[in-house]
Amino acid sequence: MKKHPVSLTVNTDTYDLLIEPRKTLLATLRDTIGLTGTKEGCSTGDCGACTVIVDGKAVTSCMMLGVSANGKEITTVEGLASRDQLHPIQQAFMDKGGYQCGFCTPGFIVASKAFLDENPNATEAEIRHALGNNICRCTGYTKIIEAVMSAAEVMRNS
Amino acid sequence: MSEYAVLGKRVTRVDALEKVTGAAQYGGDVHLPGMLHGKFVRSAHPHAKILNIDTSEAEKLPGVRAIVTQDDVESGRRVFATDKVLYLGEPIAAVAATDPDIAEEAADLIKIDYEVLPAVQDVMEAIEPDAPRLHSDDTKDSPARRAITAELRKLERDKSPADHSARIAELNTQLEATEDDVYYNISAETHSAAGDVEQGFAESDLVVEDTYVIPRVHQTYMEPHVSVADVESTGKVTVWASTQGPFAIRSGIAGTLGIPLNQINVVATTMGGGFGGRFGVALTHVPAVLLSQKTGRPVKIQMTREEEFTDGRPAPGCVIKLKTGVKNDGTILAREGLAFWDSGSVSGASIGSTIRLRGVYKFPHLKVDAYGVYTNKSGTAAYRAPGTPQVAFAGESQLDDIARKLDLDPVEFRLKNMRVEGDPVPAGPNEPKVGYKETLQAVADAVDWKNRTKGPNQGWGVAIGDWTNGCGPGGMFVSIHEDGSARIFHGSMDITGTDTALAQIVAEILTLSYEEVAITRGDTDSAPYATGSGGSVVTFTMGNTAKLAAEDTRRRLLELAAERLNTDVESLELKDGKVSTIEADPPKSIGFGELAAYSLSTTGGPIVGKGSFARKPSTPALAAQIAKVEIDPDTGRIKVLKMAASQDVGFAINPMAVEGQIEGGAVQGYAWATMEEMQYNEEGNVNPGFVDYRVPTTADLPTVESVIVEVEAPDGPFGAKGVGEPPITPTLATMANAVADAVGIRITELPMKPEKVVDALHGNGK
Repeated sequence: MKKHPVSLTVNTDTYDLLIEPRKTLLATLRDTIGLTGTKEGCSTGDCGACTVIVDGKAVTSCMMLGVSANGKEITTVEGLASRDQLHPIQQAFMDKGGYQCGFCTPGFIVASKAFLDENPNATEAEIRHALGNNICRCTGYTKIIEAVMSAAEVMRNS
Repeated sequence: MSEYAVLGKRVTRVDALEKVTGAAQYGGDVHLPGMLHGKFVRSAHPHAKILNIDTSEAEKLPGVRAIVTQDDVESGRRVFATDKVLYLGEPIAAVAATDPDIAEEAADLIKIDYEVLPAVQDVMEAIEPDAPRLHSDDTKDSPARRAITAELRKLERDKSPADHSARIAELNTQLEATEDDVYYNISAETHSAAGDVEQGFAESDLVVEDTYVIPRVHQTYMEPHVSVADVESTGKVTVWASTQGPFAIRSGIAGTLGIPLNQINVVATTMGGGFGGRFGVALTHVPAVLLSQKTGRPVKIQMTREEEFTDGRPAPGCVIKLKTGVKNDGTILAREGLAFWDSGSVSGASIGSTIRLRGVYKFPHLKVDAYGVYTNKSGTAAYRAPGTPQVAFAGESQLDDIARKLDLDPVEFRLKNMRVEGDPVPAGPNEPKVGYKETLQAVADAVDWKNRTKGPNQGWGVAIGDWTNGCGPGGMFVSIHEDGSARIFHGSMDITGTDTALAQIVAEILTLSYEEVAITRGDTDSAPYATGSGGSVVTFTMGNTAKLAAEDTRRRLLELAAERLNTDVESLELKDGKVSTIEADPPKSIGFGELAAYSLSTTGGPIVGKGSFARKPSTPALAAQIAKVEIDPDTGRIKVLKMAASQDVGFAINPMAVEGQIEGGAVQGYAWATMEEMQYNEEGNVNPGFVDYRVPTTADLPTVESVIVEVEAPDGPFGAKGVGEPPITPTLATMANAVADAVGIRITELPMKPEKVVDALHGNGK
């Protein structure tokens, strides 16, 4: 299948790629660029494990074609921590035990970041509603919500 | 309980950093140079003869490297369907190509000619004589006929002079009259009894009979099945597998493909959940090895979510007919259960758990009969306390109705009938030390049960569920490094935080800080054998192993220190990562690092403690839950206002991880009760995705309040019991009991979807 030139920025690095039009952004990130932190849980946009931030908005990357990401700025879970410090949301997931198997965790953390960046004063109900696109099967969500609430507070105070 | 330095603390898990940064390597993250991608050709019908498989067009597609079918499985073990497909989505062939999309295209090009056969999806239809049959030799006697034949056999064997001819004739007449009282499509059966249920019912003041229907649900681990196989030219097989049991996978591959164990290395990757569904080898591991053998290149096979639903191995649904007899004062006398488990196309449903209909109550009279039934669905596997949520739903729903009929408090009624240490378990050994009453009381206290209040359409439900943690073999090494730090090396899979618990145990015994103990999981080529991570087995088994390994390490540290300090072992102790004299004045001590460095030049060699463990008696554990719900009478939606869950965990090595298990299990149980159901029609599964198969999200539930109860397990490491499985067991009944309390309607068929609740409300004239 004919490949198309695509230029995109992922976590501040720019990539000039040739990709088939049938490849999703998720496949591009994982298989072409080699950033495997973003996970594939359903391939139908229903579980949120593949959530990345595209130009500031949370997107399920299995539902976006790689060619559609041409010219976009993308943040994945690998792009959240700085060299010597975790993002407050990552730190909170660690401290509160907001994960178990960890497969949904990158999606939850990235979706939480996109939401809290826009809604720093969100209530628990608003957070629960916003994260309703992400499925976790291990935690029962109790500790995920605790983690996001606590991270929101840290982010507000910094 | 004495105060520990590391045990019982809410430490951050050993794998926390890699999981929050996306660095953890799951099966799908393995990418080898030259790797091919495999896809399956799957049955388009739930039941059909395969007339022809034509791969010619697929072979011509550029990028296709190999196609395998059952012909490639020399042992003959069923990996692919050959003459007949038994369910929609059953694998018939697998294709390897240079790109997953090309492999998928090729799979579509493989033409299968079928002769479609009638299918059966419902267990109660499948046992009828006119049902389509999946396998031959599948007929079994009903319990009534079994009783007749059992008595006949006994009389015929009787060597005493008594004349039984009249009774034998009578029984033979009965047998003829019940000729049709047999079940078809039976994959397995199990029967247990204690006392005499007929006598028990005769002595009862109230006898209640109901039929409960529990749907088949999927474990829905977030990472679909995946494996990468790489077969070298020497024949050496390496498989990167997302699995709960690397050693079971190794022997499964060996048995299926006739490869010696020392030529198979299973590298278990980080696993995206399992819940019991990730032990099998046939789904992706064996096909990936076959394709790699044929191509000489690494091959990755990753199932899609849709494939998970059509060809995963979910939890069996079942139909349970249940009868319970009680005295008016609330003393339970007798219970009789007959269960039909939907095992799908192969044997293996959790029918052995039907005995848990006895719960943790003193049933003087008990009879349990269970049958596994073939249907045109994929086979089943374990799902968190396999079989127990289903039977606890039936048992605990019926007890709730009985409490209501007798006007007894449902908590008091249960407490009155619960077994305690030393009580006989119906059809089992006597109870060891257990904490049943403490656990139920704890959750009742947490919600202030006696003073509970409710508004209109609101209700409270309580239920319990029991489970006994498994126990298996395990081995482990603990090394002390020249800087005094320690490393654990073992081969068991961590899903729930067990590696963290092992590190805590070793740190505690060696008086190190938690941070000074690192832990590595080896592959099956390097690590000592470890039992699979299922059955709430790991903390109990590997925790005991860790204890042995740490104690062995301590012994060697003491020996070395005695040499260095010119004293004897008895006058030394471990303290803060040093070996110190207990009483000498002035005190003498030597650090672990110095001892480790010294050990390198001794005849005894480096400090390596070994733990090897096989079996100790497991301990039963109870989970008890209380929910408060509100029903919207217009939409039928069940809103959970409160969910409290207690569990006897023996000893919580890491309370944060224990709470996580309780919260997660309760929510899975809630979902089974209210939304989850794999649906089938004559064409097969019709809801293979998250749009039609709903699982709960953050928007569905409030916070789960977990209540940890600690009644020491005599043989658990530091008193710990298995934790993972019990919390799902009561929730199905907890929810149904809450709904019954809210609107006065007993729903006996799950899930309690809004439309079902609305129908029930209308049927009740509301």
